Amino acid sequence: MQQKEINVKVFRFNPTIDKEPHYKVYKVPLMEGMSVLDVLDYIYENIDGSIAYYDHAACRHGICGGCMLIVNGKPCLACQTPVSGDITIEPINPKRVIRDLVCAKG
Amino acid sequence: MKLIDKLITTDVLVVGGGGAGLRAAIGAAEMGVSTILISKGPVARSGASPLAGADLTLDGRSLHELGFPGDPRDTKDKFFNDIVTQGFYLNDQRLVELYVEDAPKRVKELLDWGLKVSSAEERAIFTSGESITNALLKRAREVGVETMDDVMLIDILTCSGRVSGALCLDIMNGDLIVFKSKAIVLATGGWHKAYSPNAGSRELSGDGIAAAYRAEAELANMEFVTFICNAIYWPLKWQGLIFPYLLHLLVGGKLVNSKGEEILSKYDPTIVKFGTSMEWNKSFISIATMLEVLEGKGAPHGGVYYEIGDITWEEFESRVTKRYPNWRYKGIDFSEFGEMLRDGGSIEVGPAAEYFEGGIVVNEKMETTIQGLYAAGECTSSLFGANRVAAATTEMLVEGAIAGESAAQYAKKVGMPEIDERQVEKLGEKVLSPLKRKDGIKPAELRKRIQKMAHAKLGPVRTREGIEELLRFIDVVKEKELPKLYVSSESRKYNKEWVEAIELENIIQIIELSAKSALMRTESRGVHYRLDHPYTDNDNWLKEIVVKRVNNGVNVVTRPVKATKLPLPCGVIPYWEMMKMMMKMHSDIGGHH
Repeated sequence: MQQKEINVKVFRFNPTIDKEPHYKVYKVPLMEGMSVLDVLDYIYENIDGSIAYYDHAACRHGICGGCMLIVNGKPCLACQTPVSGDITIEPINPKRVIRDLVCAKG
Repeated sequence: MKLIDKLITTDVLVVGGGGAGLRAAIGAAEMGVSTILISKGPVARSGASPLAGADLTLDGRSLHELGFPGDPRDTKDKFFNDIVTQGFYLNDQRLVELYVEDAPKRVKELLDWGLKVSSAEERAIFTSGESITNALLKRAREVGVETMDDVMLIDILTCSGRVSGALCLDIMNGDLIVFKSKAIVLATGGWHKAYSPNAGSRELSGDGIAAAYRAEAELANMEFVTFICNAIYWPLKWQGLIFPYLLHLLVGGKLVNSKGEEILSKYDPTIVKFGTSMEWNKSFISIATMLEVLEGKGAPHGGVYYEIGDITWEEFESRVTKRYPNWRYKGIDFSEFGEMLRDGGSIEVGPAAEYFEGGIVVNEKMETTIQGLYAAGECTSSLFGANRVAAATTEMLVEGAIAGESAAQYAKKVGMPEIDERQVEKLGEKVLSPLKRKDGIKPAELRKRIQKMAHAKLGPVRTREGIEELLRFIDVVKEKELPKLYVSSESRKYNKEWVEAIELENIIQIIELSAKSALMRTESRGVHYRLDHPYTDNDNWLKEIVVKRVNNGVNVVTRPVKATKLPLPCGVIPYWEMMKMMMKMHSDIGGHH
């Protein structure tokens, strides 16, 4: 059985270098029961280690709130959001981006 | 100090944003000293505390006196004896006395600070980890504790043999911060990240334990790792979550191997009884699961299958939803999990690293062997001996309160220390080095290999060959791979690879200490099960293994157990017999502990 591959469009922005944010598309093999956080982990571990998303202290129980992102236009917790097809991932507050998907708190 | 972006001065620095750190910070601030708490993730929402199920254990009589349905026949002595026998007598009995004595005081104050209780039984109250940390955070703010999120401990600074502060990293903006402080309380929890799957949150990489070791503090009992049984192995999004563990303990269910055979019925009925109805399940079922896997009867991801067992689906679902309405556990909707179990379905589960009995050596004042350095909670050693059954949430409160007060008392007596600038520069250069390399080994790739090895060779079932293989692997990693770690982006702002590169130094150091201790302990005791030494050797091994850094090597020594009340057993006893004996010594007080 051939594994389904999805396109993951990710908001990238390093305010100290980049003038404007841009999007980068990654191809990720879809595994059974994958969450948005699993997809980002896959990209980080296998494709692009420079991607920034808040996971260094992720609780994965939907309680720390650290992984709050905009997925396909809607705010959600990356760890509790299932993935079944192509997705676009953006930061929760584009005006307060520290790097890529990580925003300053408060 | 040219590499340092910020210098912050405080009397007491508390490292850790979970329950032990918060309680320590409250204790210090209440004494009137300036107190800053740094948390690697969001304060009160990181570390293992908010993930706890959670219950708080204390003796039933005290619980009864607090107005809960605790068992009034219970006594502190009975509770003490149960903790020591559950720990296979390896506990420091002075610390157990503190735990039993102070537990009611800590629970009472937490109730005063707004803890929400959902139910109570003979010897425990049930609440949630978040409710505990919420109550603590509110109190910490009231008494003037300053907190900083997303700040990671890099190393402890010392000057003339005493603590002078800490070098830390602000993960968000990449700043190196020096805290100048008279005292430090380490409350950094366990080193879950060394394993996969694990039941901790992602930041738990033993930073405090490793930093204490580098500062030449003593560590002990590093070979003892509790694996929670029945954690989810698959699907990926739930890997490491303990929901089926809770269901198996509180609701029921059956564990079967890949041949369809039930896995527990071949064990002694007493062991099965205690090992499925109390937290004894963690060691018993984790070992039983790994033995199935080693016999080639494991499921595809290295676990076994959890099923609802001999009960109708309607009955099972009604029991689950009574405890977890709408299949909701913490922030997770497990209704899809229910669907997977329906109609004879199953879910793959297995052991996941959950709790670390060993850690930094402390005395009754939570002083470490370094002047000005204190520790509390899971990062400490010896309270629970070789096997923890009573609640770690109570441990964090009891030890946190003492550590905070001790640190403040010390801070009131001494002057502000000087920072050794050469020490800071040297550490700063080392921490920045992965940012400068252009190629080499990626941290995530190395981390995954380490986690796989640790799970296989330093998991619930161990052998000499396996541990030696792990130690050879560690030697290669230390010599050839750690110095080559590089990061894809030079940016210091939220650089995941950089953080992981720093963590890996800690993880590999701790695994080495744990593996050396596990190799030396040629017996099976508590959660340390050696397939090649399947007996508990009370004649030779009622000793703690203590490790300490000497120059660049490890000094490993043994020390007799500190037994103040309960006399120690003797004789060499087959492990399963010893486990059964310890279970049977349990007092007449019931409950899930």
